[in-house]
Amino acid sequence: MTLLVTDLNVRYGEKEVLHDINLEIEHGLWTCLVGPNGAGKTTFLKVLLGMAPYAGSIQDRGKEIYRNHSRNVAFVPQQPQIPLGMSVAEYVALGRAKIDGWGNESANSREYIYQVLQQTKLLGMQHSLVSQLSGGEMQRALIARALVQEPELILLDEPTSALDLHHQISVLNNLELLKKKGVTIVSTMHDITLAAMYADRIIVMQQGSILLSGSADQVIHSPELKSAFDNRIDVHTLDSGRPVIVASKASRSWLDEK
Amino acid sequence: MHQSDSIDRIWNWRITIYCVVVLVVIAVIAVGIGPVPINFLKVFKTLLDLPGGATGQDRTVILQLRLPRILLGALVGAALATSGAVYQTVFHNPLADPYLLGAASGAGLGATIALTSTHQNVYGLLPLFSFTGGVLAVLTSFFVSGKFFAEPNSLLLSGIAVGSFATAVQTYLQQRHSDQLRPVYSWILGDLTSASWSVVAWSALYIVIALMILFLVAKQLDGLMLSDEEAYSLGVNPNRLRVIAVAAATLATATAVSASGLIGFVGIVVPHLVRGLTRRVTNRSLVSIAFVGAAFLVLADLGARTLLSPAELPIGVITAFVGAPFFLLVLRNRRKGMSL
Repeated sequence: MTLLVTDLNVRYGEKEVLHDINLEIEHGLWTCLVGPNGAGKTTFLKVLLGMAPYAGSIQDRGKEIYRNHSRNVAFVPQQPQIPLGMSVAEYVALGRAKIDGWGNESANSREYIYQVLQQTKLLGMQHSLVSQLSGGEMQRALIARALVQEPELILLDEPTSALDLHHQISVLNNLELLKKKGVTIVSTMHDITLAAMYADRIIVMQQGSILLSGSADQVIHSPELKSAFDNRIDVHTLDSGRPVIVASKASRSWLDEK
Repeated sequence: MHQSDSIDRIWNWRITIYCVVVLVVIAVIAVGIGPVPINFLKVFKTLLDLPGGATGQDRTVILQLRLPRILLGALVGAALATSGAVYQTVFHNPLADPYLLGAASGAGLGATIALTSTHQNVYGLLPLFSFTGGVLAVLTSFFVSGKFFAEPNSLLLSGIAVGSFATAVQTYLQQRHSDQLRPVYSWILGDLTSASWSVVAWSALYIVIALMILFLVAKQLDGLMLSDEEAYSLGVNPNRLRVIAVAAATLATATAVSASGLIGFVGIVVPHLVRGLTRRVTNRSLVSIAFVGAAFLVLADLGARTLLSPAELPIGVITAFVGAPFFLLVLRNRRKGMSL
């Protein structure tokens, strides 16, 4: 079972944002999109949601995804629109809209929402306003809403970028639990070290194209990864065998090139 | 199931029932109060056509003067409060009101054209002129912003521009026809004196249709409080929903304005009041907001016709007198991060 992307092209007016993408995303795995800013990662994520138009074909279980409402896909944006005056419980409960219909949470759903609030450590603040949450709490509320949605596929745009290391790990662990339940995960991530720790597949994007894709291990140790970042990263391997990607200080900064 | 292992219901429908009761009580009291005081029990019996109701002059006062006026007030209040709540959701702006997209200035221009026209017979078409003016102004805002709903903010800005333009033309017409200043002025401040059963009938038709549409999509409107991608992932078509919501809210607003002039602040005060009291922001409260809006305007109109009796205060003065300080309170709380 795969999500099959064939000859995908996306333009915003004159600008070509995604160019000739051919790719298979396997269900039940965690696929991570990495690459420099402006590589088209977020656009690719939005296209996979099925809302934005595209040229080419993206088939999920053999059906084209554009405006296909039968899929249950959760979307976790990098910068959510914060609804004014909405409580955390209401916000998380929105995730049930597709299962129970809008505003009709069943008793079972409300129990499930309670469990998810517990799991994401939001219990006790379910009556607080979403607009009053800290960055880390907001990210947990977003993840909670996605969990409550019980999606088949979850798309996350930089789920960890606003968080400290402790909260990054807790969010990623929550996602890993989700994957164990069989949910497909596609996320963008700035931190390639974290991506290598959690993702099964890594896709490196550059200027709207796919530079390379493969298992996390293959991609991390390939020379193309360094070239995607203009050779400004170094890959080290810890004694435990875990790869660590750090910015390379030796390389010239972009200021020098001017 | 153990209650504590579950979250509470998001919306408690008992609150809606309380709102209906409040409206009915205020309406019955309002029918009884006026230059000719009438016993409430008598009012109640007359309204339900029970034996022992009012007869003769009292009956005429109740059924031909006060009841249509109170019903019109309730319809206008419900229309403005609901549209205000919907606009606040659609534009992610807690201070949005139903006149945001130029409906008020457009209707004002339409009314001024009717009032300053030299043809006497146009005067009777004032509601039609103001309705058309309001709808045309909103359509122009849509047209000017071009991208429809891809960018709610650009729609908002074009609404402001169209509104300013209509106001400029209106002011020009007023200056040219200074003899008509007084009726234009009193229309701008809003009044329900035109209420008759025929006005109630046609405004009820449009307002009830518009509100029914809004109540049908009310629960989905919560999705519009999120980003478009999030809304889509939860099963909403955000662009289509926005067009439906704004069209219905505009129909309700334009009808309300053409029946009663420009009554300000209802669309801001009432939604915030209901949300503040229930501690729920969700659009499931839309039905309750409609009933509280109706009650609020009936109460304001009661003040308008009794405070300086036998003279009438423009109802817009009363709603603004209550509304403006309230508006500032919302603004202050919002700055403190308390939202609402």
